[in-house]
Amino acid sequence: MDTILTAHGISKLFPGVKALDSVDFDLRAGEVHILVGENGAGKSTLSKCLLGAYIPEEGEIVFQGETMHFQSARDALEKGIAAVYQEFTLVPYLNVAQNIFLNREYKTKLGLTDHKRMEQEARALLKTLNCDYINVTQMVKKLSVAQQQMVEIAKALSFRPRVIIFDEPTATLSEREICSLFEQIHKLKAAGIGIVYVSHRMQEFARIGDRITILRDGKKIATVGIYEKTSEQLVNMMVGRDISQVYHRSENQRGGIALKTTALCDKAGRVKNVNIHVRHGEIVGVAGLVGAGRTELAKLIFGIDPIASGTLEIDGKQLTGKHTPLRMVKYNVGMVCEDRKRQGLALKDSIAWNIMAVSLRRYFPRQFINHKKMYGICGEYRKKFRIASPDIYRPCRLLSGGNQQKVVLAKWLSNNPEIIIFDEPTRGIDVGAKMEIYALMDQLAVEGKAILMISSELPEVIGMSDRIYVMYNGSIVNECVRGSGDFNAEAIGAMMLGIKEGSCCEC
Amino acid sequence: MNANVQAVKTPLGPRLRALPPVVWMLVVLALVFSITTPQYFALANLRNILVQSSALMILAFAQTLIVLTQGTDLSLGAQASLVTVLWVSLAKAGINIYLAATLSVCATVIVGMCNGLLVSKGKIPPFIATFGMQNVVSSIALLTTAGSSIYFSHYIFQFVTETRFLFVPLPVWIAALMFALTWLLLYRTKFGVNIFGLGGNPEALVLAGVNTVKSYVKVYAYAGFLAGICGLITACRVESGQPVVGMGWEFEAVAATLLGGTSLREGRGGISGTIAGVLLLTVLRNGLNVSGISAMYQNAIIGVIVMLAIVIDAMVRRVRGD
Repeated sequence: MDTILTAHGISKLFPGVKALDSVDFDLRAGEVHILVGENGAGKSTLSKCLLGAYIPEEGEIVFQGETMHFQSARDALEKGIAAVYQEFTLVPYLNVAQNIFLNREYKTKLGLTDHKRMEQEARALLKTLNCDYINVTQMVKKLSVAQQQMVEIAKALSFRPRVIIFDEPTATLSEREICSLFEQIHKLKAAGIGIVYVSHRMQEFARIGDRITILRDGKKIATVGIYEKTSEQLVNMMVGRDISQVYHRSENQRGGIALKTTALCDKAGRVKNVNIHVRHGEIVGVAGLVGAGRTELAKLIFGIDPIASGTLEIDGKQLTGKHTPLRMVKYNVGMVCEDRKRQGLALKDSIAWNIMAVSLRRYFPRQFINHKKMYGICGEYRKKFRIASPDIYRPCRLLSGGNQQKVVLAKWLSNNPEIIIFDEPTRGIDVGAKMEIYALMDQLAVEGKAILMISSELPEVIGMSDRIYVMYNGSIVNECVRGSGDFNAEAIGAMMLGIKEGSCCEC
Repeated sequence: MNANVQAVKTPLGPRLRALPPVVWMLVVLALVFSITTPQYFALANLRNILVQSSALMILAFAQTLIVLTQGTDLSLGAQASLVTVLWVSLAKAGINIYLAATLSVCATVIVGMCNGLLVSKGKIPPFIATFGMQNVVSSIALLTTAGSSIYFSHYIFQFVTETRFLFVPLPVWIAALMFALTWLLLYRTKFGVNIFGLGGNPEALVLAGVNTVKSYVKVYAYAGFLAGICGLITACRVESGQPVVGMGWEFEAVAATLLGGTSLREGRGGISGTIAGVLLLTVLRNGLNVSGISAMYQNAIIGVIVMLAIVIDAMVRRVRGD
């Protein structure tokens, strides 16, 4: 295989940080080269240098034998390096064809846009991706996330690129959608296109990768073949310290039942007759596919969505009357939401105000806020949770995903809850921060808190839970206890799919 | 399967149901007035409604484009006033009436370009930038006439207001022409694509290599052009230059835009709905006038109905899942 893209000694400076420190990288035609590293390790910076969005201070980029001097992403795109970004670059109220040909609109002789031609070509492009079920005259807004991503890929392909950079493409996709994405990537590979794939998800690597480059603190640690290292070794290289065990659980005592639901149903029919319970000192996982009703269940318990029928007991007392999040907080229940950027944090507010958001009432029952005391408390939480920020006055949007998640946890834990619901507690954060969050959950269980954890990462559910409820199509279909025969990925995976066969795809 | 699906035309029923709710409210309102007021459906009155709405209609098209880019242009009313004043005073100074008209419209195009630069280069929120511009422009208009109205007599004024072509007065034809032009620009040119892009995902435009500063300047300049045309029609109607004639029109234009289903977020909507929005406002005012309701009550009634209309619109859309 020929090398089509090489980067020599790339360095990129940001005010105060050396984001990349003379990194070498090469990409061959027809391979998937995975870039991994913790948040802040420099993988996004490197991919942005490759595609021209950043201009590196040092080093050169050689593409198809020529040294490149990209001034913008557009430059690189025209030379043949395309990108599929994590945040979509589609305009919601334009149709599929208009989005694909944004700023390259075909024109008729009168100078008007040539819709027919754009639609025809868009249709042809989508056909090569086996996505002819996507209507090119449909507004992008009306498409599902996975369909939007296909449009995004079609848009990248319309430039006939030699290299495509995928930046965490599976972050928002369900397992089924991931499978069809991987099928497309395999096809692109077969067509001789070089693919740079930025990802956190270890379990994906073997499914699509050929080589892996590990970055840490802006430096390249190694480039290895996909089967040369075990995932444990990879994690060690990424984090730079030895990790004997990612998931660690201590011995601890179980207490009484903290949370119990009986025949719980929601109004939309996405949660049906759910009976679960969580004891003090126990971590209970909820596994299921996206759309199985896991998040809906959590929202139902926490009073975000109204209960249609069924009951909820907290410490043996049945909940009556109004069921709202505020009331649940007063009952010492906390909920770490799935979407930290939208539901978990006020991104523009400081770390301190975010930490205090729930517990303000507890610390300052007489309404007036003593700022000195407040910042003192928050400073302690910053140290305790090792939130990587020089101070607590900084707005949360400047923090990395892992640190943002720690702020969310600090927010809830500062209120000292007895029952905590975690919805995707480690989504989109790096291994180091993940392990800190796992250690924290373990410690909470030792302290006798009841924890309900929802996650689409099966290894995480299996690694952390004492018991797992498997949800399928709104109902609990099984309960697996740690140590029993079906407490493993294969068995639980099959239950999640509602079938007794193996996995859903061949890729 | 798709080729077939696309080939089949959507049947009439769902297409009627997909109309913006404001259209149905307009029909209901017209029916109410036709019951309460005899002669409501008289040809003269309908023609009157159309003529009354034509100036606001053009201004509302401008506002719709700005709202699609997630902005509001508060200087549009003042721009229309300025054009009436400039046109008349230039004509009075002995300049050819057509040249004077062209120059006046050029002035508002320049005002629009300044708005666009303030918003894109200056990164000032559109509400603030155009509010500032409104004050500056309306001061210029007042200074030009020393605070009073100025009069001038020319046959073109009567020609515009009184000529009928196919039973329809000229101002209505001009509004229709502006609709056609704006529709073409919005749906059949890159200019239009970029408008939806500015409102929906400006980042996407930048990544596609679009110069967004230019795009903003173009949209605001085109809005200025439409405000200029609106000013010309207005000057013909009042046969004078009036420095405050367009005061508050920018807000009526925003109301019409929102009634027409254009959203202040993410670039949803279009100018067809705006027609219904403007007609709703005009039918209301006309109906209240014809029914002989005191002008002191009229504003309150219009305010309440506009709010109701917006609420109903939001509810209908939620049910439909738009």
